[in-house]
Amino acid sequence: MNIKIRIVPALIVLLLVVTSVGIARARSEDLVTVYSSRKEHLIKPLFESFTRDTGIQVTYLTGKGGALIERLKLEGKNTNADMFMTVDAGNLWYAATQDLFQAVQTQTLENNIPSHLRDSKGLWTGLSVRARTIVYSTERVNPVDLSTYENLADTKWAGRLCLRTSKKIYTKSLVASMIYHHGINKASDIISGWVNNLAATPNAKDSHIMNAIISGQCDIGLVNTYYFARLITKNPNVPLKLFWANQDTTGVHVNISGAGVTKYATNVKGAIKLLEWLSNAKAQAIYASLNKEYPANQNVISDEVVSSWGSFKQDKMNLEQTGILQADAVKLMQTKGYR
Amino acid sequence: MEKNCLKSKVWISVLALLVAMPIFVVAVSWFFPERELWAHFSTILLPNLISATVVLLIGVGVGVTFLGTILAYLVVMVEFPGRQWLEWALFLPFAVPAYVLAFVYLGVFDYSGYVQVWMREVLGLSGFDIRAGSWAIILTFVLVFYPYVYMMARASFKRQKVNIIEAGRLLGTSPLRTFFKISLPLARPAAAAGLLVTLMEILADFGVVSLFNFDTFTTAIYSAWGDFRSIEVAAQLASLLVLVAFFLIYFEKKARGQAKYYSSDVVNKKPYRAFGIMGWLISIFIFSVFMLAFAMPMLQLIIWGWAYSSKELNVRYTDLIISTLVLTVSATLITVSIATILALPNHCKKNSSWLKSVINIATLGYALPGSIMAVGLLYGINQVSAVSIYFGGQSINQIIFGSIALLLFSYISRFMAIGYNSIKASAEQIKPMFTQSARLLGVSRLRLIWQIYLPMMTPGILAGGLLVAVDVMKELPATYLLRPFGWDTLAIQVYELSAEGLFERAAIPALIMVLFGSVLMIIFQYLDKKS
Repeated sequence: MNIKIRIVPALIVLLLVVTSVGIARARSEDLVTVYSSRKEHLIKPLFESFTRDTGIQVTYLTGKGGALIERLKLEGKNTNADMFMTVDAGNLWYAATQDLFQAVQTQTLENNIPSHLRDSKGLWTGLSVRARTIVYSTERVNPVDLSTYENLADTKWAGRLCLRTSKKIYTKSLVASMIYHHGINKASDIISGWVNNLAATPNAKDSHIMNAIISGQCDIGLVNTYYFARLITKNPNVPLKLFWANQDTTGVHVNISGAGVTKYATNVKGAIKLLEWLSNAKAQAIYASLNKEYPANQNVISDEVVSSWGSFKQDKMNLEQTGILQADAVKLMQTKGYR
Repeated sequence: MEKNCLKSKVWISVLALLVAMPIFVVAVSWFFPERELWAHFSTILLPNLISATVVLLIGVGVGVTFLGTILAYLVVMVEFPGRQWLEWALFLPFAVPAYVLAFVYLGVFDYSGYVQVWMREVLGLSGFDIRAGSWAIILTFVLVFYPYVYMMARASFKRQKVNIIEAGRLLGTSPLRTFFKISLPLARPAAAAGLLVTLMEILADFGVVSLFNFDTFTTAIYSAWGDFRSIEVAAQLASLLVLVAFFLIYFEKKARGQAKYYSSDVVNKKPYRAFGIMGWLISIFIFSVFMLAFAMPMLQLIIWGWAYSSKELNVRYTDLIISTLVLTVSATLITVSIATILALPNHCKKNSSWLKSVINIATLGYALPGSIMAVGLLYGINQVSAVSIYFGGQSINQIIFGSIALLLFSYISRFMAIGYNSIKASAEQIKPMFTQSARLLGVSRLRLIWQIYLPMMTPGILAGGLLVAVDVMKELPATYLLRPFGWDTLAIQVYELSAEGLFERAAIPALIMVLFGSVLMIIFQYLDKKS
């Protein structure tokens, strides 16, 4: 009988010992801690470059946006995070509504990042712009037939359209913009039209959409431009082209990745320094070349591949709307059977 | 003795309830109803999701049962060319994480994959959407999860006395008839136990279903949380999943005998010999299962990874591998220790329905999706902190958050079922006679445990430990959410790269993970042979 009584406390001791191993490292002025839903391979080169420039170390934890927000909420004052970095304006907006950021307004940020990509109270700052637009097969589609996102609901595209799953944040934000521009009823018709025109079950990834078009499963789709950039860098002869949507109307739907200093940051100074550094020309160029996104800093020229597509008119919808309308967008897609 | 019994009853209950904590936290969510969201879910989402989930459970259930049992029967009862190595090769797919197999399969068999391109260009057939309907996802799941049934059924066939079958043969029954009339009924409980684990895996799966964009009940859980930011509704839905698991366990208990993963009586003599064409047909059949579930996906990963190996493989991988190993080893040791305590023969348990149900609850965590369990834990700890602060105490958040303990806790809670089932099966073999005679000789309980119980349970403990280790190593959602700084694992690297569509690079951590898993499965095999 005794063995049990001994084993249990022994286990508890073991647990505590193991715990102490993992307890957060000592904090210091020379260390900034970032929670990021941008994937590791995209942020690591940036942080390493920052450390070389300033001597400030950066530790980071990657995770899904929603999950990291919950973690920050639960950690409250005890959080390790000095900065929260995520993709999609909706996530930044939501984190702001949950009181996770502190306002940062500096001259550097104001100079580097245009105001429509920053929160009005300075809670978060956009760091890169990602455009979601039409990609088409140059073999089977005449670009004259292309015009807008809304037009993809037309029956002439029946059985020719590939879309990404409704579970992805990029789809949700795009649909939120449809609701914003057209109201719920018209948006609902557009989504129905898209679903009716699908050639295949919505894909899990943008790269799958482009593969599907190349192999002839469908003729046309919607992708974030950096996925297209990756594809043509690897294989310059793909019979695919980008088309800038809605140039005569609302403009191409754009989203951002961005970051803010957390409300309970221990190293506020270091975090602001990092944020400013991320907005400067050097970092923005790394951003632009690493993931072929559009720099948020307008003085920085896009990557070579990216600039070859020419300039385009952006949708100037206030990006906060993607957060506000997100739940409606999801409900709409679920109701219309958009998987 | 009465007093001692009570004491151990209390200890075991505390331990079991501790393991089951995430389940209780999830259940507490029902105190926070959200009517509006439920109205949307119950009218729009749930009817379709529930029927899709049922289709998946039935399809995969039937598939793994057939495939697992037939393979096990063939390798145990029939001698055919290549049997020696195919018998152990069939274990290897267990080392392949389900999401890895899914992304390989999508790459190969999708409309743009080699197979369909070849079909269109060479055979002139029209292509098809492999993600339409449910057959492709069912096949993928069957190939990933058949090892559960195979391992259980194989152990059970090995224990069947060859002489029963020989008697049947002497009486002139055909091999097929012997299979259906004698072997299969005897193996049914074991197959049912493997099936149960498979069904719980499917209920909790998120990786495979999201790659196929196939909506199941877990989709609703993630939607409640991710889209509508309601942890409460997510937890409420998750608790329904646990309820389903509870019923599954109940039915399985009725069907179960002494099912276990490992075998102790090894049948060296095969009752049947398949000569000539028949033997080769069997070899080809088994070899093709091995090809589809293991060799072909590995080959694809190697092809993908090859070009990127110099770029992707760097110093960082040392860290990834160390983190993965430390987490796996510690989680396995703790899980197996607790499972052993819970499974030790104890005269209290024989007539205590309380203890039995408490232990059952402790094994329910397997059906909880990893991320829901993780959020449940965070939520629970936050509540404890709130109570502690209310009474003027300290918040415990800072001790717990970012610590490895919470992550280990979630592994233990999630994989207890795997360790416990295996260890319990070995404990059940200890005949009361041993205990009684030892007692009569005045042996203390401590000595009884060290000198009789533990040695007899060793095969089960080792088997359980290896299976838990493979599962911990593959675990993704809870690790992603709870890991402290600097504790990235191979599974996380696979996810991060594949989520961005960088399959070539994701192939490298995936291969390393499968390699480790395979080593564990080979050790498992070796121990199994020795025992």
